[in-house]
Amino acid sequence: MSKHRRAQSALLPASPLLITESGDEFDRMRDAFDEEIKPRGIIEQMYVADIAYLSWEILRLRRCKAGIINSAFRHAVDNLFAQVTGSPRGQAYIMEGMGQSLGRAWFSGPAAKKQVLEFFSDFQLDESAFEAEAIRSSAADLERIDRLLASLESRRNKALRCIADYRGGFARQLRESSNRIIDGKVLALEKPSSKKPSAVA
Amino acid sequence: MASKRQIAANRRNARKSTGPRSSAGKRRTSRNSYRHGLTARLTLSTKRAKRIERLARKIAGDTTDVVLLEFARTAAEAEFDLARVRQVKVALIERLCVFGELDIPEVSTKTLIAHDRAYEQTGVIPPAIDAAATMPSSDPERLAEAVRRALPDLVKLDRYERRAAVIRAWSVRAIKSRTRQ
Repeated sequence: MSKHRRAQSALLPASPLLITESGDEFDRMRDAFDEEIKPRGIIEQMYVADIAYLSWEILRLRRCKAGIINSAFRHAVDNLFAQVTGSPRGQAYIMEGMGQSLGRAWFSGPAAKKQVLEFFSDFQLDESAFEAEAIRSSAADLERIDRLLASLESRRNKALRCIADYRGGFARQLRESSNRIIDGKVLALEKPSSKKPSAVA
Repeated sequence: MASKRQIAANRRNARKSTGPRSSAGKRRTSRNSYRHGLTARLTLSTKRAKRIERLARKIAGDTTDVVLLEFARTAAEAEFDLARVRQVKVALIERLCVFGELDIPEVSTKTLIAHDRAYEQTGVIPPAIDAAATMPSSDPERLAEAVRRALPDLVKLDRYERRAAVIRAWSVRAIKSRTRQ
């Protein structure tokens, strides 16, 4: 980032990050946007900072979405277990001492995970069934996150359009003012020559 | 349509309920619709006002046009409002990461009686439910859970963020059309 651009950025309010988020990583992302868009002037800098922050928030929410599904996994395994044990074949497994939380066992290690998968394979259920149940049980939260993501994405796209509009307007403005300058010069150049005949007359 | 008697009765009844009369009551009800104050313009702090003015001057450039400068001030203020809403969002998520909840749980009389009885019987004060203990221990999951718990507030705050962004975009458009004139 150039010195001039850094000075302009100092005028803008700081982008708040979570304690667990890396400031360097955010700066790298911001620099990448700066490189790509090459903002001219403070207004464009403002929009680029906005785009970088919105993109950062989008990433944060996407990560959280995955985290929410992962967190719901244990309950999903337990829910499926409860459903399965409601069936007559499932009752037999309870008799065999498989009543402990399979959800907890799923996360305790690869061997336990394999055992859980083997148990469910008898009921034609695999990992995709757990994932589906995890998504189903956290559907309300995921829907809210999706709405937030849609809002962030639309604002990011709008900010990009705003830069394009502003640049278009700026280019037009430069063209008009340069035209005015040229016209003015032309008129100034024409004036003495137009005066000449009258002077002669 | 209401009869004359009914209208008179309504007026008599209305006179009985005209809100609080004491100054303390009036002060309390004056804040009835207050929620978070995010739409309030907080330019009262001198430091903030100075920063907004600096940014506005930069946006407006070397202009002497007061209208243009006013548009620039609106854009700068909206820019700082956006940052404020984002700061609130981050603060909420971080608080949830630490405490697991935003509201202090209200203790009902029923719970107090139950605690009292338990103390009388066992001599031990029953531990209160610790919301932080219900949070996952590892970092990415903890953050995901904090965001999940903050979602109702994040959705509300998103409205204010959008509002500030619209005001800024409108001001920039106004600046652009003003400079073109």
